[in-house]
Amino acid sequence: MPDSAGKRFKPTKYIPVSTAAALLVGSTTLFFVFTCPWLTKVISPAVPLYNGLVFLFVLANFSLATFMDPGVYPRADEDEDKDDDFRAPLYKNVEIKGIQVRMKWCATCHFYRPPRCSHCSVCDNCVEDFDHHCPWVNNCIGRRNYRYFFLFLLSLTIHMVGVFSFGLIFVLHHRERLATLHTTVTLVVMCIAGLFFIPVMGLTGFHMVLVARGRTTNEQVTGKFRGGVNPFTRGCCGNVEYVLCSPLAPRYTLDPRKKPHVKIQPPFIRPDLSDRQITIKVSDNGIQGIISSKSKCSLDGLDDKETQPPLPPKADRYNQLKGPVTSSEDSSLSGKTHPSTPAMYKYRPSFGTIPKVHYHAAGEKVSHDTSAILEEGVRGHDYRSEPNLDLPEYTNTPLHRSFQSSPLQLDSDPINSRSLSLKQQGHRRPEKGQLPALQPHAVTSTPYKSVFSPNTLSNRNGSLSYDSLLNPSISPATANECMAHRGMHATGFHSPYLPTKMCHIREPEMQRQQVATAYSPVMPPRGMGRQSPHPRDRDPSPVRYDNLSQTIMASIQERKEIEEREKRQMLQGRSQTHIYAQDSGVFDGGYVLSHNACYPDGPRGPVSRGPTSTNSSQGRPHSPAMPRSPSYSHQKFSYISALERTDSPRLGGPREAMKVNGQTDCHPSTHQGATHSPSRHSNVKKVTGVGGTTYEISV
Amino acid sequence: MATEFHNLQELRHSASLANKVFVQRDYSEGTTCKFQTKFPSELESRIERTLFEDTVKTLNNYYAEAEKIGGQSYLEGCLACATAYLIFLCMETRYEKVLKKIAKYIQEQNEKVYAPRGLLITDPIERGMRVIEISIYEDRGSSGSSSGSSSVSGSTAR
Repeated sequence: MPDSAGKRFKPTKYIPVSTAAALLVGSTTLFFVFTCPWLTKVISPAVPLYNGLVFLFVLANFSLATFMDPGVYPRADEDEDKDDDFRAPLYKNVEIKGIQVRMKWCATCHFYRPPRCSHCSVCDNCVEDFDHHCPWVNNCIGRRNYRYFFLFLLSLTIHMVGVFSFGLIFVLHHRERLATLHTTVTLVVMCIAGLFFIPVMGLTGFHMVLVARGRTTNEQVTGKFRGGVNPFTRGCCGNVEYVLCSPLAPRYTLDPRKKPHVKIQPPFIRPDLSDRQITIKVSDNGIQGIISSKSKCSLDGLDDKETQPPLPPKADRYNQLKGPVTSSEDSSLSGKTHPSTPAMYKYRPSFGTIPKVHYHAAGEKVSHDTSAILEEGVRGHDYRSEPNLDLPEYTNTPLHRSFQSSPLQLDSDPINSRSLSLKQQGHRRPEKGQLPALQPHAVTSTPYKSVFSPNTLSNRNGSLSYDSLLNPSISPATANECMAHRGMHATGFHSPYLPTKMCHIREPEMQRQQVATAYSPVMPPRGMGRQSPHPRDRDPSPVRYDNLSQTIMASIQERKEIEEREKRQMLQGRSQTHIYAQDSGVFDGGYVLSHNACYPDGPRGPVSRGPTSTNSSQGRPHSPAMPRSPSYSHQKFSYISALERTDSPRLGGPREAMKVNGQTDCHPSTHQGATHSPSRHSNVKKVTGVGGTTYEISV
Repeated sequence: MATEFHNLQELRHSASLANKVFVQRDYSEGTTCKFQTKFPSELESRIERTLFEDTVKTLNNYYAEAEKIGGQSYLEGCLACATAYLIFLCMETRYEKVLKKIAKYIQEQNEKVYAPRGLLITDPIERGMRVIEISIYEDRGSSGSSSGSSSVSGSTAR
């Protein structure tokens, strides 16, 4: 019977606790009524006294475990999370006694969950030192009431042992009169006690081990410290002491007490200017150099976090670089420290070669970016990309503008810009300002080299890839390098996103190819369609960049391997390219266009990682995707050709094939199709795309 | 206008909330309550570093005292057990006592140090002890913007 307040009254959730309470109280009452009188007479009055005390203890702990606030965190104010919510990475690293611990962003409560905190879906609250949600007490067990829960288990075990033993003594003395009421009742009570003894004993033993090890049920069950070190342990004795003897923690959800008024009245005292010396910190990546003027302290904090080793990213969220970067609007870093950003710093230096100048030249509206960019050196450029990431909506207008200026734009200008903007949005906050800035350059310098091509592709992985976008005139080597680096990040992260972006990218390219008109009507909707999930996909779960270092190194190596492989394959696989290019059905099947007719449609599934192999095995089952396939194939061509022009070696296998096609013929001959499929099944090649996304493509 | 005194809780005729800084927890020593003493950049132009650090260090000390496992906490635990926890109905736990001390300290700091500088500290307990929230106020009379605190430095209080 749902009530209007939205909190439904679910009677079912009270069943376990009612049952437990009924059994406990009922059985014990029966024991006292039927068994104890005889025991008092025969053995001693201490028996009921002892049992009474134990029972009282059980009840008290049960009540406290049931009714006590486990340590619920109140929801964070809007002010606190305004910078964190959409641009925040999913995880934030914190070092506890030398061990890296991840703090996850709680989308419901709007803060990064403190260590050991977890969100209880039943109670819909984040609970401090979350142990588990116990249905038998219908309450979460957390920091404040764990002790009472543990004592409840201990005392219940003792109580059950006592009831069972005394009942057994009674029954053994009344063997000949088993049918009498008292004996029968005692037998029943003994049965209940015996029945629940095993599970209760088991649970008690389990928690005794947990207490000794200093772990929570949640940590034990999720295997957090399996094989690792538990940073929260204080030694066995310390842990037991902590559980049993620590002071009762305070409640966080008290009613706000009336605070005494404090008058805030200007004029305000300001510290001396000398106290506000701002030191510029110039670091290798230049990022800090820019920021330092505004957020030196933030950087200090960030520095601390730089030492954190990267943690594995969430595969489905690779968004965002966090906060400080995002607030680039005013070119100043907020005081918030975002561990993800520092981690990226380490891998930025290689981007330094990308001239920042391009940003300005673009004359882009990215006003905030421009000013920031001016300050930065070349290396700062990478950093700049980060802030841009955070403002997904931002780019739309400039994109349009830039698009139109591009000679590449055909009649599909609006589509292009739309798709670009869609792409922008799809990115996890690509650098907004940068993309528009990029456009003019792309137009002027390399008409064919679509702005989108290598750069946009690289964007897929997120902020990092935008750099190449911004500087279309960057030498291929540099661009590749940038992309490589970005790819590193991407590899770790979100291959799923890459395909989508690629689709978007391909659209404009396709238009350029001029088969566009035929497909343009198809594209926008697709683009839109494709676009839509991304923001939704991304927003709730930002990605961490913390593990960039490892990811990047891995992807660099991977890329090298792929390049070598590609070179080899190019020599061998020319014939295959046509097949790829032209068989749109093949594409759909092979590249997981199935989802959305988007080249590896990431959000839809683990496409990028191994789509082709699955698809190829499926043949061409994607009928819905079929209609779109022609456009895709064309897109691929354009994409490939663009890529090729930019000389990006990172194209994956299929792309590689496309590359050949693109160079030679935009319309691959159909006869090649037949040979394609078998070859497709032959190898599964892991390829890193321009954007750095890694695909497994069967070549 | 600038010289009028207004209760912070009421309409602020002379000062407006410009920004909030959040001092995060320092988890380097585990889950014991401790706040980072790192000086936030937004406060660079508003308060001396030493004053801020003193405040945070004192708060950290208070929390450490509250969470200390020692004689008093043993006693409290035993007493609570013995009375079937009925003692919680009448007595204030040690932590609560220290929290009251902390509230008083924050109030005093606000009155003496922070309010004259246009800042206000919010008791961390209201935020679940996850952050110390410092509200930054601007002189409304001299500056129309209520954006970043860094812009406040441009506006001089009269």
